[in-house]
Amino acid sequence: MLWLYIHLPNLLLEHISQDQAGKTPLIVSEPGHGLVYQANRAAHELGVRAGMRLKTAVNLAPELVIARMDSGREQRALAQQARWLYRLADYISLYPPNGLLTEVSSLKRLYGGLPSLWQKLTEELKSRQLTGQMATALTPSAARYLAQINRGQCTDCPEILKGLMQTLPIEQVDLPERTVKRLGKLGLLNLNDALSLPANEIAHRLEPETLQRLQQIQGTRPDPQTPWQLPHHFRQRMDFVSDIEQMAGLLFPLQRALGELESDLQWRQQDTDYLKLTFHHRDHAETHLAIRTAGPEHQAAAFMALARIQLEQQQLAAPVMAMTLTVSRLIARGQPAGTDLFGTESDPDEAWQTLISRLQARLGESAINTMVSHPDHRPEKAWMQRALAKPGKTAPNLDVRLSHLPQRPLWLLRAPQAVHHLPEAWLAGPERISGGWWDGERVQRDYYIAQLNTGQLGWLFRDVSGGWYIHGWFG
Amino acid sequence: MSYAELHCFSNFTFLTGASHPEELAARALELGYTALAITDTCSVAGIPRAWAALKNSPVKLITGSHFAVSEDPDSLATEIILLARDRIGYGQLCQLITTARRRAPKGQYYLSGEDLTKHGLDHCLCLWAPKKLYQVAFEDARQCGQWLRDIFGSRFWLTAERTLENREEEHLQQLDALARGLQCAITAAGHVHTHRRDRQPLQDVLTAIRHRCTLETAGKHLFQNGERYLRPIPVLQRLYPEAWLKESITIADLCSFDPGSLKYEYPPDLVPEGMSPARYLAQLTRKGEKTRFPEGTPLPIQALIKKELALISEMRYEHYFLTIHDIVNFARLQGILCQGRGSAANSAVCYCLGITEVDPRKVELLFERFISRDRNEPPDIDVDFEHERREEVIQYIYRRYTRERAALAATVIRYRPRSALRDVGKALGLDATLVEQLLNGIDWRDRETDWRQQILDKKLTRNPKVANQFFTLVNTLLGFPRHLSQHVGGFVISAGPLAELVPIENAAMADRTVIQWDKDDLESLGLMKVDVLALGMLSAIRKSLGLISEQQGHTVRMQDIPSDDSHVYGMLQAGDSIGVFQVESRAQINMLPRLKPEKYYDLVIEVAIVRPGPIQGDMVHPYLRRKHGLEKVEYPNEAIRGVLERTLGVPIFQEQVIRLAMVAAGFSAGEADQLRRAMAAWKSHGDMTPFRDKLLHGMLERGHSADFAERIYKQICGFGGYGFPESHAASFALLVYVSAWIKHHYPPAFYCGLLNSQPMGFYSPSQLVQDARRHNVEVLPPNVNISRWDHTLENRYQTLRLGLRLIRGLSRQAGQKVVSQRPPNGYQSIAHFRQTTGLDQQSLETLTAANALSDFSENRRQAYWQLLGHTAPAELFVGEAPASYLEDVPVALTQPSEGQDTLEDYATQGLTLGRHPVAILRAQGHFRQCLNGRELLTAEPGRPVQVVGLVTGRQRPGSASGVTFVTLEDETGNINVVVWLDTARHQRQPLLTARLMHVKGILEREGNVAHVMAGKLSDLSHLIQTMQVPSRDFH
Repeated sequence: MLWLYIHLPNLLLEHISQDQAGKTPLIVSEPGHGLVYQANRAAHELGVRAGMRLKTAVNLAPELVIARMDSGREQRALAQQARWLYRLADYISLYPPNGLLTEVSSLKRLYGGLPSLWQKLTEELKSRQLTGQMATALTPSAARYLAQINRGQCTDCPEILKGLMQTLPIEQVDLPERTVKRLGKLGLLNLNDALSLPANEIAHRLEPETLQRLQQIQGTRPDPQTPWQLPHHFRQRMDFVSDIEQMAGLLFPLQRALGELESDLQWRQQDTDYLKLTFHHRDHAETHLAIRTAGPEHQAAAFMALARIQLEQQQLAAPVMAMTLTVSRLIARGQPAGTDLFGTESDPDEAWQTLISRLQARLGESAINTMVSHPDHRPEKAWMQRALAKPGKTAPNLDVRLSHLPQRPLWLLRAPQAVHHLPEAWLAGPERISGGWWDGERVQRDYYIAQLNTGQLGWLFRDVSGGWYIHGWFG
Repeated sequence: MSYAELHCFSNFTFLTGASHPEELAARALELGYTALAITDTCSVAGIPRAWAALKNSPVKLITGSHFAVSEDPDSLATEIILLARDRIGYGQLCQLITTARRRAPKGQYYLSGEDLTKHGLDHCLCLWAPKKLYQVAFEDARQCGQWLRDIFGSRFWLTAERTLENREEEHLQQLDALARGLQCAITAAGHVHTHRRDRQPLQDVLTAIRHRCTLETAGKHLFQNGERYLRPIPVLQRLYPEAWLKESITIADLCSFDPGSLKYEYPPDLVPEGMSPARYLAQLTRKGEKTRFPEGTPLPIQALIKKELALISEMRYEHYFLTIHDIVNFARLQGILCQGRGSAANSAVCYCLGITEVDPRKVELLFERFISRDRNEPPDIDVDFEHERREEVIQYIYRRYTRERAALAATVIRYRPRSALRDVGKALGLDATLVEQLLNGIDWRDRETDWRQQILDKKLTRNPKVANQFFTLVNTLLGFPRHLSQHVGGFVISAGPLAELVPIENAAMADRTVIQWDKDDLESLGLMKVDVLALGMLSAIRKSLGLISEQQGHTVRMQDIPSDDSHVYGMLQAGDSIGVFQVESRAQINMLPRLKPEKYYDLVIEVAIVRPGPIQGDMVHPYLRRKHGLEKVEYPNEAIRGVLERTLGVPIFQEQVIRLAMVAAGFSAGEADQLRRAMAAWKSHGDMTPFRDKLLHGMLERGHSADFAERIYKQICGFGGYGFPESHAASFALLVYVSAWIKHHYPPAFYCGLLNSQPMGFYSPSQLVQDARRHNVEVLPPNVNISRWDHTLENRYQTLRLGLRLIRGLSRQAGQKVVSQRPPNGYQSIAHFRQTTGLDQQSLETLTAANALSDFSENRRQAYWQLLGHTAPAELFVGEAPASYLEDVPVALTQPSEGQDTLEDYATQGLTLGRHPVAILRAQGHFRQCLNGRELLTAEPGRPVQVVGLVTGRQRPGSASGVTFVTLEDETGNINVVVWLDTARHQRQPLLTARLMHVKGILEREGNVAHVMAGKLSDLSHLIQTMQVPSRDFH
């Protein structure tokens, strides 16, 4: 068996900075930890290193851009990379957070030898702008450790591989910290040193598990791996270093994702007619965009053309920090697409839900809203439209005692209108509302309830400049 | 028309009130209020500041507090305000607060309805402001009101608080009905949170911080408008019926308590019955005289004592001196070394009472200089105790006076730039990572104003409006109190129950309680506190003196050390002061050869001169020039001569600067006192600019140059926060001399004492051991057969044997076991050691790794190997001799190299007794072009040189603009490298991260202090990549 391990030291960093020029120093850091997790080349050139304190890094590179570390994101990014490797090799195993293992003895023949396979993998990595450290070895662990310290060589010669394995530093091997420390105190600095001791002495003095682990690396004890399976859907998430505010900014990353989708569909020999885009916002619930094709399709260009039309018509609800492309409807090539859009609905209880979901499907999910109250003193902000809760999801608890609500007109004007003739009958007020200074929509008003000369019961206010406005009508 | 505001929160209701008490006070005065009640939640912490601001003003201050009463902690609370009618009522209020606070965790309180009935509150008034009556059933409200009415009787009011909210008309109608039902009066009140309406944004921010949300999501937690401020009377007249406004005056008239009337009642315990405090103090002083002056008190000292006692009597400070004497006496009996400092400490009386060792014959420190008749402020004596034993003294005070009567003063933790930026950033919803990045990127040592500019330079947000708001909010929030913490050692001791004088609450530390006032509050109210502080050097001196006494065969005490030893001054003049108290920093080591101290008073100046005050005031060079006769000593007039004569006409000490403000700029005693307080508070929030004009103007008017005035002002700013008074320097200088004397005459005892008192001081054990060896003290490694837990002296007190305490990760308990179980003829083998001590595997491995078991094996690796695998013997072998089952399979492990040994030493002990890493690398052929630290002292200055060393320090003092001082350590000592800002900017990487640094630069030398002005820096850390060397980084 020959194992090949790809270590992606900057996976998260490169995942989020896919479309960045790379001139600005950029690092990924875990919030609260204060350590640099990954650093790009520009940061590296200024002396910033992974594991360094954030403070030192900022001192070294004052212009440093810091992205948030998120182990979930890195895992997703790894799974996305697993997809293309899976297309090349039939047996792969994931090593979160940032490693991929594959068995290559059978592949060597397929690709005409190890060097051309190595070349192919290098190209794949390069096309995805990924830094990869590859290593081959006779055991999965040895391949992994060699790749992690970047001592891999493109070779399948057992002698060379064995020699490389023996030079592995002990601290690289994932043994319990205490054992590594002990081996260090004994002056046993690499695998060769440790393996030169009698096996029973190792087991006796350094615990049997240490011996087992060393033997697994050496290959004299089995080291079973968990194979990775391709999921039955396609999902690609794109995270951005800085939030994207314009739809246009999303086109390029989308194009890349659609390219991946095309390769994936091609390999699966499947098509789809329904793509879902999810936009993740920082301070806003996620929003969605559905893309439907006329019939089953697999070409990126076709998807892109449709997506472009839709995107150009839409406004972003809020800046986008990440975007996910999901395809869960995979259709075998040559089969008719689903045509059930206006088919008969058998369950009458679900008629309402069905109507909603059909309207949503037809008009887009964001087109159908409900009205809810929102805790803000400003009348304009005291209510909001919210996308209708999905069937099955319960709406948040809005149980407010009516007596606790302030007196407000049921009919609130879209915008306050200036009043020219002041009313004669003042019924209540003033109620002073002043707030919202923090978001640029400051309100400073004194509200009154008054009967206008026309007999209408109005909600009036005087603003800070002294002008009078009508803001709503009571029934 | 007049009005009394009876419901007002200051920012001592943390994260709720948005104005300082003094701001509220000033505004109330401006608006012509008759009275102002400060009613913080379950607290009177804001009272002293409001009192100080309203003292001698027509506005009456009313002391009160706001409470939420709940029957059980979950139920909705009834909120009431209690006001103190008189001194008794104030005591009742304090007791109630104490009860409510003591039963809740730090920062919280819990008050039950029962507390109101159980505590006598007959001298308190109760106001109840029911909220939104239209929301509750009238009968419920009536019952609640009736309950309060029954407790307080005619001392109960309803408050109407109009804040212009929805359905207020309905609420007021109901309130009126309620008042009729309860047959009580209604008073107007304001539910005040800010002194002006424009503080609303900050109040909103505080609310968001309190609820841990952003302004965006705070929603209805925020008030709907900014009406909770001190409103002008005409506005109030429009809002309230006249009767309600008048009622507020009626209530205010009932309250006559004045915080200024709080008299400190000294604990009477210390004075024997039938004797007056004055007589007793005189008696103790006379007794002290006999030991201090066995050959008879010199006449001038007798006169001095008489004068001092008269002054103490006149000021009625006897109890204060007696209290300090009692504490010091306890320490002396326990063998705890202590030393007093501060304004009153350097007196002949204190010398006789044993509070200080500063001999009045040697220094002419005028007592009156420190205690002034006009400034009726309490005397100030801080007593330093050995840092390891201070807790014994604290426990003694609790025992002596009980917890009822003794508590620690509070320290008000206030918003500093860092915390203000973080919290305001969060409230405004700025990205947390971005805010952290900003905080990390700011160079806090830059001058005070600069962090703002630094933030502006980095783009805080794309929205400039947000940035502006951000700064305004951060600026206003600076100096706001956040919570109460415990003072480092300020005790308040009272005659009666302390809780009737000031509320007591829980501190974070278990079994510690703090009062609600900090030291400034106590001072402004004229209350006494005793500072019980911890000082590491006293521990070290006591330990060294112990060793010297053993060596000499008789007790050597601090007072037995001969003064004015020219050899000791000679050593200091040479800058040989590592480990010496106060003068061991790099800056001090550089100053010593320039100032050339030759007598005690020079040390007093030395201690005070290397401080931001004199440096920023540019007073250092003039003083040095005058001292060495290069500049004429002149005085503009006799008054100034009086102030500055002892420092050759150059102001050095804080007292001098303040006196100067009076003498040269015409400040009154009161103004000078304000200046002193502003200086102390300047760093956190104080503003010195009001004093600037007065100072400059006053000095110019009196014929001083603008330049001199400006320098004095700068010095005042520099003193801010680090003010160093002569009265403290005088006591410190004595410890400087004592520690220097020990270092010079008994170096082994000196280092042993210092090392046994770690952590303390400026240098690491590694640096101290290197210094010891350079002073020809032989140092031997820790060894389980010889070492004790502490470091010891061997070979007739000439050789320093390192103790087991040096070994990292070894518990004291394990170390002591090694010592106590040691057989008379020592441990014989690893097996023997293991069996006899019964130590756990972890401790055994730690000892072996540190090579403390070197007697039993070839090298530490081999010993370690033997240790592993020797798990507890199986039952079967228990009865057998150890040798029969402890058979070792011989395994040859490679001998550690010298470098590996060195690394192990650093890892396990933080130092090595082998060759210095730089020496090892040098021997391997590295650094051929480099001079070592010693060679720099003889090389030609002005020439290019190369040096290399381990980086042990990087400092960027605020007083040296942009310069970074790097300290390198090689086998001969420390090398000073100076890196100018420009050089630093271009070589950030080596400067910030190198652990082994190579420097090309120009040599500069003054006396025997050499500096390398850095040109090119290189990082050579790869040569020792895994070497652990402690580095005191500045970041």
